[in-house]
Amino acid sequence: MAAKEATVYIVDLGASTADCHSGRIESDLDFGMRYVWEKIAITLSNNRASDRVGVIGFRTDQTAHQLDAEEYPNISIIKPCESIKMSHLKELHRDIKPSETNDGDAVSAIVVAIDHIQQATALKDGKPGKYKRTIVLLTDGQGHMDPDGLDESGGIDFDDKEYGFKEEDKSEIKVFAEAIEYLSMPQVKPTRPYSCFQGKLSLGNWKEYEETALYIDVNRYFKTKQKKPESASTVVSRPTKGAMSGQSSSHTIGGDLEMDDAPAFNGDMAAVKNDRVYTVKAAEDDSTAENGKLTVDRDELAKGYAYGSSAVAISEAEQNIVKLETFAEFTIIGFIPWDKYERYLNMGESCITVADSTNDKARLALSSLIHSLHELESYAVARLCRPVRKGSEEGKDPEIILLAPIIDNEIEALVDVPLPFAEDVRLYKFPPLDRVITTSGAVVKTHRNLPNDDLVEAMSDYVDSMDLSKFGKNEYGKPTEYMPIEDTYSPVLHRINQAVRRRATHPEETNVGDPADVLIKYSHPPQDLVEKAASALDALKQAADVKQVPPKVKGKGKREAIKPLSDLKIDLLLNSRRREKISPDNSIAEFRQMLDHADGTDNAGLLRDAAKQMGDIIVELIQRHAVGTSAGTTEEQAVENMTVMRDAMIEYEEPELYNKFIRPLKRDLLSGKMGENRTRLWFKVKSAKLGLIDDGTSEKSPVSAEQAAEFLGSKAAELPTRSK
Amino acid sequence: DYMVLKDAVIFAIDISKSMLKPPPPSNSKKADTDSPAAAALKCAYQIMQQRIISNPKDMMGVLLFNTEKEKFLDEEVASRGSLGYPHCYLLNDLEIPSAEDVKKLKSIVEGDEEMADILVPSEEPVAMNNLLFCANQIFTTKAPNFGSRRLFIITDEDNPALKKEAKESATVRAKDLYDLGVIIELFPISHPGSNFDRTKFYDDIIYRDPNESDEALVAPVVLNSSGSDGISLLASLISDINSKQVPKRTLFSNMPFEIGPKFSISVKGYNILQRQQKAKSCYVWLGGEKAQIAEGETTKFTDQEVQGNETPREGGNKISEADLKASVKKAYKFGGELVSFDVSEQKGLKDFGAPILRLIGFKPQSMLPFWASVKKSTFIYPSEEDFIGSTRVFSALWQKLQKDELMGLGWCITRKNSGPSLVAILPSAERLDEVTKGQVFPAGLWLYPLPYADDIRSPPEQPNPVRAPDNLIDSMRKVVQQLQLPKAIYDPSRYPNPALQWHYKILQAMALDEVLPEVPEDMTVPKYRQIHKRAGQLIYEWGVILHDEATAYNEARRRGLKHEVDDDQEKPKKKPRATASAASLADMSTTDLKKLAVDGRLEKYTMPQLKELCSAKGLSTSGKKADLVLRVEQWVEESY
Repeated sequence: MAAKEATVYIVDLGASTADCHSGRIESDLDFGMRYVWEKIAITLSNNRASDRVGVIGFRTDQTAHQLDAEEYPNISIIKPCESIKMSHLKELHRDIKPSETNDGDAVSAIVVAIDHIQQATALKDGKPGKYKRTIVLLTDGQGHMDPDGLDESGGIDFDDKEYGFKEEDKSEIKVFAEAIEYLSMPQVKPTRPYSCFQGKLSLGNWKEYEETALYIDVNRYFKTKQKKPESASTVVSRPTKGAMSGQSSSHTIGGDLEMDDAPAFNGDMAAVKNDRVYTVKAAEDDSTAENGKLTVDRDELAKGYAYGSSAVAISEAEQNIVKLETFAEFTIIGFIPWDKYERYLNMGESCITVADSTNDKARLALSSLIHSLHELESYAVARLCRPVRKGSEEGKDPEIILLAPIIDNEIEALVDVPLPFAEDVRLYKFPPLDRVITTSGAVVKTHRNLPNDDLVEAMSDYVDSMDLSKFGKNEYGKPTEYMPIEDTYSPVLHRINQAVRRRATHPEETNVGDPADVLIKYSHPPQDLVEKAASALDALKQAADVKQVPPKVKGKGKREAIKPLSDLKIDLLLNSRRREKISPDNSIAEFRQMLDHADGTDNAGLLRDAAKQMGDIIVELIQRHAVGTSAGTTEEQAVENMTVMRDAMIEYEEPELYNKFIRPLKRDLLSGKMGENRTRLWFKVKSAKLGLIDDGTSEKSPVSAEQAAEFLGSKAAELPTRSK
Repeated sequence: DYMVLKDAVIFAIDISKSMLKPPPPSNSKKADTDSPAAAALKCAYQIMQQRIISNPKDMMGVLLFNTEKEKFLDEEVASRGSLGYPHCYLLNDLEIPSAEDVKKLKSIVEGDEEMADILVPSEEPVAMNNLLFCANQIFTTKAPNFGSRRLFIITDEDNPALKKEAKESATVRAKDLYDLGVIIELFPISHPGSNFDRTKFYDDIIYRDPNESDEALVAPVVLNSSGSDGISLLASLISDINSKQVPKRTLFSNMPFEIGPKFSISVKGYNILQRQQKAKSCYVWLGGEKAQIAEGETTKFTDQEVQGNETPREGGNKISEADLKASVKKAYKFGGELVSFDVSEQKGLKDFGAPILRLIGFKPQSMLPFWASVKKSTFIYPSEEDFIGSTRVFSALWQKLQKDELMGLGWCITRKNSGPSLVAILPSAERLDEVTKGQVFPAGLWLYPLPYADDIRSPPEQPNPVRAPDNLIDSMRKVVQQLQLPKAIYDPSRYPNPALQWHYKILQAMALDEVLPEVPEDMTVPKYRQIHKRAGQLIYEWGVILHDEATAYNEARRRGLKHEVDDDQEKPKKKPRATASAASLADMSTTDLKKLAVDGRLEKYTMPQLKELCSAKGLSTSGKKADLVLRVEQWVEESY
């Protein structure tokens, strides 16, 4: 972890800083303060109580500091160098304003700052505390600067080597601009090394075969760990304060109260909490049930697991019964050559294993393993059970990891990645990419899905022309790798951090702005390279002859007749067999088959008839609803039929046929005409988004998107509230 | 999408006389003893247990046909009157399997007396149209709104409908299934001497999966009733069904893959790798006749007042959704307080544009450090739906990356508002199972997520490494050579997750009220006896050398301390061999490299070291050792 930090910002508040330069509409002070605000925000976001921040103004109207006011005039300590809280920001925003004067000088301010920071970071006995001290000077360089004074301040003797001194004392815009650019450079926060295994790496069972098995004392640490943006909590703006007073009685609802992880609150925000209610299927004759469900109290419930649809309760004392008993251990299963492993099998983050640094024998032993793996170009496959707690003998569930040797001047270690178990690999089959297998099983090498020689060659040239391995430049201008991992920053992480810092320091701004350029640098290939590869790309396009599929040809009867594998003319057979009437048992298939006929002259009539029949079947399905288990599925069936009908009416451009059906259905569901408690079905319809077809979905619809949203939105509040 | 990603599968198993006939006796140890029907039932039993673990929300049913007995969904029978499905016996309803379902299959597989009368074949065969409509009705009523519905037919009869009329009726019912969105998968079993001929009947009732591009086929498999090549019918059935039992679910569809400016093809993404986790514990209600899982519903409210509900609930002062939405904000902890954003604003922070996979360029695969791993990869495969010609372009790219051991670098946004990631695009060669010849890994490209600078951690600072002396390394090398994994590969299928299997084994036993198993089967435990037998002596020898070297090292160090060696760096006793120090070949100055080149000492370095050097210098890493050495020598010359 980084050392404690103390920073004093010396800010030039001279009257001249109110001016604007370089075509900016911001004052020089505001422009320069961006840097300071951002730095303060970073300190705030680190949230470390020991960090100190102070702000000293110079060329101020007043003089207020610890030293001789006569000798160092027009300098004020705006915020003493202490810990900083959000509440300080408001005061700073108030106080950091250009003054009426141009008197006062930067070097004196530095003297004041040095003295102040020393005092602020001294231990009780007067000795300097262990701090990284930094003084940042922000000035437009227009004020008086006494070079002798600078010598003086520079002559002060510090025994703390880490003392940092930072100046930005020229009025050149470049300096400011660099500082501002620096701001958008994401800061990678250093993290403490995290040990995730400490113990013996073994080969063979040394407990059983003392002489013919081995173990080496090792430590294993994280090597990569995905840094995720902090998650946001959900809060609600509190209504006016007055309305809330006197309502502080606690809220009680049967069930759990789970706080969303929320810290202290501003006066105007309240946490959103979760209330969990548990229900079970009620017995058929249970009169207290609602919608076939019974609400049960948390206290009546046992802990357990699902086995398929069966519930298995496990008593509190037996909770461990389902856990595989293991010992904390790290043991090698075997070895495989490097070229027999595919990188895409990596399941996640890597770790690094080093020998116990206090045990020379272990260091020698591990070194021999590392070097032999290196020489044999092999990996080790190992089983790892991390201890449940640090130092515990009991192990967590086994993992399988792949260990690779790394050797350089500083370190010899094994780096590992997690491997998949049998259950983690899904057997999805895909046709091969270098040959085509036809229906009859024949293998074809020339096919429109396979590249011809021209395409292969054009692709090869293009790929070669887009080589990044030497496209970057190092600090000496020598070609080097472009986009090395060390130069890539998580766009979402840093974008959120930057936005949060900005919002914290400037709550009045309503726009969060665009992501910094550095975050989207690798969203496109480098322009120079694209230009260089342009001709190769053209050749590739030519050889590829890729055609974009035009937007789906909508319409009536344009669908190709579907045939089984045998090319049997099933549609003819169907035509001769099916009647005009859709049977409720087989409604989806017969509805679709009926529509397949819609290629002739009287589509409108046919579609109207099909929609009418389908509508009736849906209503029948809804009404067939009976208490008991099948209730759910007939409702689900109704929803599926509605989905099919709606999609078909969109496809055949008859949106009104569906709309005319859904309008009265909604009314009847909500009014109770279709039976008690049918609001629940309406919610299913809502969540399946089966409302009116709007003109955005189907051109022929007279319903606007807003009307459709309103129809479906049907605010919960409008629903008749069921009485208790 | 309301058409939820749920899957319903019905196993339709033929119980005809020929299916029940065990294979002829054989002297071979590996010979099959299961009748095809028994193998099919065992397979269903095994797959059901497997699905409870891997697809806990999916449904499965078992429908026997050509049975003397008849059974359909219990509750419906009465209402349907006399119209039934002769010779169809619904053994397991199409449901999320329960412990009872597993038990039922188990007892039939184990030849329980009570179940014996179910496995009596009918004199006359089932009418195929009836069987298909029976399945239709099960899917319609039991699995509405399921995104995937499949009928697996396991049979040895390739011509079940001899009469024209019967065949036509069956084809019409098959078309109904197709229009209902049910896919038929056939698992045909051939008997010795007579091959199952799909063209007689089944090609007329099977349609291609509309989600698959039309000519993209994997060669069909025919199973053999008496097993083949030493693999039992059961094993090949399980392997074949397993490759189809999980519906191929796309992670993203028709995503533009921008190969270059204004040049895109479309690809689909698949989660071939997915950590299978134990289901979380839940609450169980024991107040009723049967233990039941209590469904939890979450309602959000503020500490003062109920502001809205996710689900309609009684009481509470509900505020309209619109008002609730307006007042809800997303807040981040910052400096001990909360900094808030509007919900849409906060979403916008993650918005870096529409879904896309954009190529940034290419690097040799050797430039991907081993440790640079943060997340599993996603498999991508071309799709012709948006761009005709996608497949051939994809194939050309795949061939090039494969041939030159290159990787693409990509900027990838898989879903709207999901935030971008940087990925390496790695090619994979098709890998087939050596025995069954079934595909284990497909040919295609993988999106391999790269870590960011933010994700890199370091171990605490280490003292300078103590390098093992040559004799110790040599000794260890012999050990490593003795202990290669079978076929020198890591084959995931050999290592079921022991904790996961144990968890469900215990639950199964508890649910069925059976005796709990005592000894877990754990394939991940090293074969200690074998290690002892194959490498024990070598490990012992290594131990002796280590002991001597460690003693010598400590001795040298003590002496070193006495003489107060001014640098406190521990030097190994022996001079490190070339290979050992050469790991830093890539870090060497050009002058040193030139010396090595002039002296011809580059050859002494290992391939990986040379490769590392080449990739560090941006040289190609392909070819033999001599090629690399030559390349380095040339580079050294040119760099002056």
